[in-house]
Amino acid sequence: MSIPVEIARGIESQLAAPLYGLDPKERRDSLLALLKKELAYACDRNLRFRNYAEHWPVDFHTAHTLADLPYLPVGAFKSNPPLALVNANEVKRILTSSATTGQVPSRVVLDAETAKRMTKGVTTIIKDFIGPARRPYLVIDISENINTQAEMGARGAAIQGLGSFATEVICCLRRDLGGNTNLDLEKLLDCAGKWRETEVLAYGFTYVIWTQLVQPLQRKGVTLDIPNVRVLHSGGWKRLEREAVTKDVFIAGVASVFGCSPDRIIDFYGMVENVGVVYPDCERGNKHVPAFAEVVVRNPLTLEPVAVGQRGLVQVCSVLPTSFPGFLVLTEDMAEIIDYNECPCGRRGTSFRFAGRVPKAEVRGCGNLETTRQKQGQGNGLHE
Amino acid sequence: MNDLMLNPAVHSPQEITWAAKQVREIAREKEIAPNTVLEVFEQWAAALDSRELREVPGLAFLRLWLRRGTLEPILLRELGADFLHGGWQEDGRARLRAFPLGVVGHWPAGNVEIQPILSLTCALLGGNVCLVRVPGGLVEITQQIMEKLQEVDRRGLLTERTFMASFDRSRTDMHEAMAQAVDGAMIWGGAEAVSQVRKLPFPHWARVVVFGPRLSVAAMDAETWGDRAERLSWCRRVARDVWQFEQRSCSSPQTLFLEQGAGCDPDEFVDDLRQALQEENRAHPRGQIEPSLTSEICLARALWLLEDAANRAVFSASPDWTILLGRGTEIPKPTQGRTLSVLLVDDLSEVISKFDGTVQTLGLAVKSAEREEKFARAAGHNGVDRVVKMGRMHLFSSPWDGVDLIRPMVRLVRHVPSQE
Repeated sequence: MSIPVEIARGIESQLAAPLYGLDPKERRDSLLALLKKELAYACDRNLRFRNYAEHWPVDFHTAHTLADLPYLPVGAFKSNPPLALVNANEVKRILTSSATTGQVPSRVVLDAETAKRMTKGVTTIIKDFIGPARRPYLVIDISENINTQAEMGARGAAIQGLGSFATEVICCLRRDLGGNTNLDLEKLLDCAGKWRETEVLAYGFTYVIWTQLVQPLQRKGVTLDIPNVRVLHSGGWKRLEREAVTKDVFIAGVASVFGCSPDRIIDFYGMVENVGVVYPDCERGNKHVPAFAEVVVRNPLTLEPVAVGQRGLVQVCSVLPTSFPGFLVLTEDMAEIIDYNECPCGRRGTSFRFAGRVPKAEVRGCGNLETTRQKQGQGNGLHE
Repeated sequence: MNDLMLNPAVHSPQEITWAAKQVREIAREKEIAPNTVLEVFEQWAAALDSRELREVPGLAFLRLWLRRGTLEPILLRELGADFLHGGWQEDGRARLRAFPLGVVGHWPAGNVEIQPILSLTCALLGGNVCLVRVPGGLVEITQQIMEKLQEVDRRGLLTERTFMASFDRSRTDMHEAMAQAVDGAMIWGGAEAVSQVRKLPFPHWARVVVFGPRLSVAAMDAETWGDRAERLSWCRRVARDVWQFEQRSCSSPQTLFLEQGAGCDPDEFVDDLRQALQEENRAHPRGQIEPSLTSEICLARALWLLEDAANRAVFSASPDWTILLGRGTEIPKPTQGRTLSVLLVDDLSEVISKFDGTVQTLGLAVKSAEREEKFARAAGHNGVDRVVKMGRMHLFSSPWDGVDLIRPMVRLVRHVPSQE
């Protein structure tokens, strides 16, 4: 089933608008109007979602600000079957988040239209940061992670999302017979030799770049000497924080092994639930929201949007998905609002800085029970 | 302040071992009668009636707890009248007398502000000396309360018997040193914390008593909540129980079961409950919240409404309070943070029959005494340790978790006179 024409036109209009050039108020107003239509559509398509929206303290039809609209916490996308606004036969692909061991990943369903918009959204944003040219694409990952599958992880999705910038794709990691991943140094040095004068795009998950590329090359004392590389990375800092690798140490390490200047290394924030939107760091170290998206940072105590300079829970908003209700998603990340209007880099609209994952609760208390004894198979059995 | 009594931060296991040695010496040299302890407690209760402590959650209750009128009946019930005066109790041809275990270690939970003190008082009443590990977030409050004890306990009768320390929960070496030094332990807390403490290398003779982790529920029969005149006041009672300790206490109601009856309108009930929660929020607004709790509250709301289109919910735009309304006899996974599941059931007996030992307290609002008796009996049979009136779910008393509070930390010595 196709989406209503006015929604399709609205999305196209936002996608075609100047990426970071719209007047912030005008942008928020047009997003609010479009998101209301999308929410109404989602309510028609999914009764469970309608139940959620109808219980929201503010009626979204009459909401005055984007922050008043009903947002879903990111954990809601872990449900099985996944939350969908399309029929099963319309699902083209399912994206899964990168959950750590023991955690349930999020699963979002994409139909052809949403998948197309996802690619367009990411491409438009990245183009603004690295330019439109196609170039050799060095993937710091194994080739198995980029194969097109019906169900695809966050790493694969991110790698594929940058594919439109590629003239050729080279994966520099390989899996040995023991199942361990390691660097294919011979292949990498061969490519580096060819790419010395060329613009190159490299991408990998932050901790993969560090552990599988930078550390091995540093140990061997190898410099690739690809000064025109643009290294994009994403996936968060949690694992590197555990190893006390700061952002500065990471950038210095990556720059030294590629033989490039540190400003050619760009961290971006993105999540599968927020399809088609990524948030690269600008040269001032801030993240920006494109014309088809918004970020609301909420005070954990009140859930109201915070003022400039304050931190809170990140809510991402996007008009792009129509195959699942991922318009307004409360993440489990924290961020600080830098400005609501303009960044010195010239990009307009909300700018923010990522401030890590929501810390785990310190105090749980004597009422902290995940489950009943019976569900653990340890009931007293008296009533059985 | 007595150096031995409260060391907000200790840095090495040796400090704990040394302190344990000191208090053990005191226990050997100086016996203390429960009556003497009660006298100091009475003065302590009076000293706690001060302006600077008024905002400490649970302090009004602590003052009440420390009164002779509260504790003497508990001592009488647990240990008998002779124990109060340090005497022997006749037991047929023999006689019995309670003696302290010795050094008692306390591992209170971090969610109840006065719990380090409550735990301490139980062991002191048994004549013990104590090592108390104060959770990081409670050091300031505990210190304020202990300063009041020092003001009234001029001879140091109780303060010299107490060593309090705060160290990070990850300092296994400190926990181990404390565990190795004790003859008894009182452990309070959540599943993870309790499991960690239980694994510590206690001496084989140490008596270990665990309070928690448990959860609690409330239940109302149709006659009670169908009574419009009384409904709001019952809602206020359950709101008070929900509010205290951010619902992180083992005695906090996580679910309210409402028995359906003719003429009972759940919408009217939810309206009253909403009003009660809003009033409680105005009277006791949150000053802060952990972001992870906000996330959990938002997720609980969403999952409830997405799970079944028939489920309903009422909640504030902030994370201040949440009512999740539906049908069912199973206790949903607790969210805490003032999130109350309200489940409609046909018969409360059906709910109670499913309890499995997880439920500590059942808060009841039942019109018929006969039915209440039936419910209390069924609840006890199914592992519930406290059946109380809704609105009084947190009223700390003995027994707790089905266990006496003072008796586990004493030894009952039996003397059969040799000349008999």
